[in-house]
Amino acid sequence: MSEPELQIPEGWEGRAPDGWEWQTLWEAVEEGDHTYSHDRVQQAIDADIDPRIILDDGLFPGFNLQGDRFSEQIIFIPEMLITARAMKAGLALIRPLLAAMAEKPLGTFVMGTVLGDMHDIGQSIVTIMLENAGFKVINLGTDVHPDRFIETAAEEEADLVGFSALLSTTVYYQKVTIEEFEKAGHRDKVHILIGGAPTTQEWANECGADGWGKDAMEAVKLARRLVAEKREAWV
Amino acid sequence: MKELLPRERFIRALRREPVDRVPLLYRMKAEAKAKLARIYGIENAATGRKHNPELELRLGNDAIIYQIGINADFSHRHIEIGETWHNHFGVGYGKSGLEGRTGEEEIEFMKTQEFWGPAKVVPENFPNFHPIQSMEDLKNYTWPDPADPEMLAPIKTLCEEYQDDYFIIVDLSSTLIEAAYAHIVGTQKFFLMMFDEPDLIAGVLDGLTEYYTELGKNAIALGVDMIRVGDDVGAQQAMMISPKVWREMAKPRFDYMFKEFRKANDELFIKLHSCGDYSPILGDQVELGVDLSGLMQPTGGNKDQVGLKKKFGGDISLIGGFDVQNLLPRGQVEAVRQGVLDTMKNLAVGGGYIFSPSHYILADVPVQNIYTLLEAQRDFGTYGRYPLN
Repeated sequence: MSEPELQIPEGWEGRAPDGWEWQTLWEAVEEGDHTYSHDRVQQAIDADIDPRIILDDGLFPGFNLQGDRFSEQIIFIPEMLITARAMKAGLALIRPLLAAMAEKPLGTFVMGTVLGDMHDIGQSIVTIMLENAGFKVINLGTDVHPDRFIETAAEEEADLVGFSALLSTTVYYQKVTIEEFEKAGHRDKVHILIGGAPTTQEWANECGADGWGKDAMEAVKLARRLVAEKREAWV
Repeated sequence: MKELLPRERFIRALRREPVDRVPLLYRMKAEAKAKLARIYGIENAATGRKHNPELELRLGNDAIIYQIGINADFSHRHIEIGETWHNHFGVGYGKSGLEGRTGEEEIEFMKTQEFWGPAKVVPENFPNFHPIQSMEDLKNYTWPDPADPEMLAPIKTLCEEYQDDYFIIVDLSSTLIEAAYAHIVGTQKFFLMMFDEPDLIAGVLDGLTEYYTELGKNAIALGVDMIRVGDDVGAQQAMMISPKVWREMAKPRFDYMFKEFRKANDELFIKLHSCGDYSPILGDQVELGVDLSGLMQPTGGNKDQVGLKKKFGGDISLIGGFDVQNLLPRGQVEAVRQGVLDTMKNLAVGGGYIFSPSHYILADVPVQNIYTLLEAQRDFGTYGRYPLN
């Protein structure tokens, strides 16, 4: 596959004040300069640029470029983490503005590592990627009891739930947790995604999940696709 | 070929010389070992510092492997619910899988482990406190004693008791990058600090290099045949850090460490292990003079065992390659047998290979699959017979 390239948003000049440039922010997100990202997004807010435009034209190009490089194994976890941090620094400033404009998150995602498993690096990366892609993510951390997944999903009226497991001894709990959702009568209200080193599409089918992400980028793509498919209402 | 002594067999495989059968090295976590020991009537199934190799030798292991270093205690010891236990590095460890369970409930729960089928979730001990978070912490940090007699004494006993017949390996456990991210600093923090405070990361890695070089030399002085260095830099689908960063951060430090080891004993064998896919740095391992590589978690990124064997098998011996993520814990016996056959065909042809599951056997492996593994490895692991003729 060819090397991923920066996708410059078409017609961005028409959506920005005269003399404005995004190039430095694209590069800052790409290189993981979170201080600059924060400052530049603040300048954009002060220049009265619409927060949705800051997000799409200013923050996403550098982030998407690194996301594609991560999928292609051109960059690795540390480089992806600093890019995600730079994106987050800018996003933190515009999120309250988006909320005030009654912009809803893409969906609500309850995330955690299953009972018995303390591995969190993989699900932390997926969480950051989902947040940056516009999801509201409630991360319950590691070693999460099925009941806590269910309670949180109900409280938050979640659209999606994700279980991570890194050990062959704990993937079993992905199945158990899905069964508990069924027993509680909530299975059809959420899309359930699974992931983690020993998991496969075959295991996702076997344990009754709605999807499996091979890596963080695929998990985000999957979440975006599934959230568009309607589930049973929470109330 | 006449039957070789286990020790001889192991050494010849490391030198890629002809052997009678493929040498073996099984490792088990405490729960799996206890389960199997009951069947064999072996009372002492201790793991960790009190490791008793009796069961592994009955299964046919040609080598004895004894673990020291940062992992040696935490994963083998009992940690109370809610307790944070600190090891000699000052790293804290707690226990998972116990939400809402009391001690008594935990004991009842463990009794429900199915003997013949897959186990339910087994509580794991896991790092929850990382002692170095700043330059200040690093300055005030005291590295453990690499001459700790409590850690080293069992090595001498093992050598005296077994070395005439068996090959003796000392496993330094997580040694460098993994010891830093998983234990000393914390994973996410480590990756961010690579950019924010590279001097701090360099200081931690230098401290670890110094400690493990001395610890390894002390083990070598007791007469061990091999030092195993473990350093997980592979994730399931790719490396965690780039090969370029690994070459800058890890390779020179391992180069120093291995040269020091070889100064202490120029006939020493060295094994370098990482979990996950680390095929991009296998050529670097050859350059470092590593004798045995534990590559080939066959379910991950690079699944091309035949290609890797062809490319590197003339320069480095290989171990592992049998799937412990899906096949061993969940496969039907016929599939397990086929898996052993495939592994032997891919990796054992032409020698230079030691058969082993790609990692520890865990509690979730049904006993019938372990039996199948043992039987198939005998059936397919003899040179001069199918598939190794």
